Amino acid sequence: MSRRLTRWRADWRTGLTAASTAIREKLAFRANFAGTMLTYGLFIMVFSRIWANATAGGTTVAGYRYDMLVWYFIIAEVPSFALGRFFWSLSRDMKSGQVAYLVSRPYDFVGYQFWERLGSALPDLFIILGEGLLIGCLLTGGLPPLAEWAGAYSGGQPLAGSGLAWLAGQGLRALLVVMSLLLSGSLNFYLQFSLAMTAFWLEENDAFYWIFQKIALVVGTLIPIELLPDAARAVAVWTPFPYIAYAPARIMVAFQLPEALRLMAVQLAWIAIGLVLARLVFAASSRKLSINGG
Amino acid sequence: MNELNTIQPARRTGRLGAYLRFMGMAFAVNVKAVLEYRLNFLLQFFGMMLNNAAFAAFWAVLIARTGAVGGYGFNDVMFVWGFVSSAFGLAHIVFGNIRGLSRIVLEGSLDVYLLQPKDVWLNLLASRTIVSAWGDLAYGFIILALLPGHGPLHWLLFVALMVPAALIFVAVFAGAESLCFFMGNSSGISSAVSEFLLTFSLYPEGVHGAWFRWVLYTILPSGFVAFVPLRIFKALDWPLVPLLWGIAIGYLALSYCLFRVGLKRYESGNRMDARV
Repeated sequence: MSRRLTRWRADWRTGLTAASTAIREKLAFRANFAGTMLTYGLFIMVFSRIWANATAGGTTVAGYRYDMLVWYFIIAEVPSFALGRFFWSLSRDMKSGQVAYLVSRPYDFVGYQFWERLGSALPDLFIILGEGLLIGCLLTGGLPPLAEWAGAYSGGQPLAGSGLAWLAGQGLRALLVVMSLLLSGSLNFYLQFSLAMTAFWLEENDAFYWIFQKIALVVGTLIPIELLPDAARAVAVWTPFPYIAYAPARIMVAFQLPEALRLMAVQLAWIAIGLVLARLVFAASSRKLSINGG
Repeated sequence: MNELNTIQPARRTGRLGAYLRFMGMAFAVNVKAVLEYRLNFLLQFFGMMLNNAAFAAFWAVLIARTGAVGGYGFNDVMFVWGFVSSAFGLAHIVFGNIRGLSRIVLEGSLDVYLLQPKDVWLNLLASRTIVSAWGDLAYGFIILALLPGHGPLHWLLFVALMVPAALIFVAVFAGAESLCFFMGNSSGISSAVSEFLLTFSLYPEGVHGAWFRWVLYTILPSGFVAFVPLRIFKALDWPLVPLLWGIAIGYLALSYCLFRVGLKRYESGNRMDARV
């Protein structure tokens, strides 16, 4: 028991060291953030115009107002821009043979990769999120209202008059959105890790990622899943895709604590499935690896 | 004197022929290089079409919910996506270095091109092809085949509009890259120009404010690579096609001049390179 605990502690220490090293490395090249920030900002501007046209005259689309659609897009794009590009570097490490150097080290390979990649993505996450908040406030005049949350927790009475409750609501929502985004990044990692490991069987495995990426784009990133046709939505909710972008974005624009907790619970369930899948694929693929030389 | 007058046009025609042969050769060599890696080519070809198809799904869902967006119906959006993809693809197939020009200049690899007898600008831009661009080129034709009510005249018009649109892409991308002669590392501004031009071209003109359309018909000419071609195509307005060609040639001339002026500021890094 104590040996297992020691091992667990060592894994955590290794993971945190890997994450902090990756963060410092990322922050050393600050100019690299500019390209991502520019593209992210451009997409928000263009889609805000599309939503303005689609909701002209104050109409709603599947229950979403203009401000909700803009905020939805701002948050839903964060996993794509900050937490969704693990495949390329993982796959490159497999194909270049770098994996042989990494896999022989005395640590849990999957866990180490997880912490290193997630750590590297964290600066992107907070920079992109900050930019999104600024653009969102400029475009819509402020954060999306907390009416739904207020309705549920004040007996239907709006909480606008209660500054403290408003602040608590905003704080709770911000916390849950960030947590949901981190869960989204974790889910993205395990799914993309499993796809990248296919490089052990197929040298050209990019097509798997393209298919994954495009389904994720249509199912919850560009549009909320409520806009999908009924049949497509019924299928989509049984896949992990809505829990990558839809979950955090939905928490942001239509905040209700029970729904937020339910979405995050499903995210956790998919992460568990993703983790098992990643470990199984890695176990199968590492049997195909032969390392020679010293 | 008369003899001189007949020799000069002949020499000019000969020069034009030589450049056309050169372009043909560069294209053939690039295609051969691409086909050397067939699986990679096919993956990138279908991957790029899949990428475009994902956005088609987005528009299908959105327009089914809201009706026309920015004055565009589903067929209009599909045409614009297909047309811009094809023009963008053609530009990158024939002139694959349009977004690598500044890197070549900054790395000092321009010397190789300066020593060769063909025009530096043309030689540099045509010396590479982009594999995934074939998927973009094909996507437009597939969309055209899927959209209803298009006969041979529409196909012909599509090609007649696609070529000047591709030339405008070449002119703007290469022009932005040429800024490296004046600014040093201009990758930020050139990638922004590329990203902005492409993105604004792919979405309905009507979603942008009136003041912003000035930008879309000047610095970022999305108007000429997407919006005007759509109007010409829908109305089968052939007389406007030469006008679009004229505009494309104007943009090319400006881009070429910018490169030549910049080239005067270029200093060799004495790097040893070889083109095989």
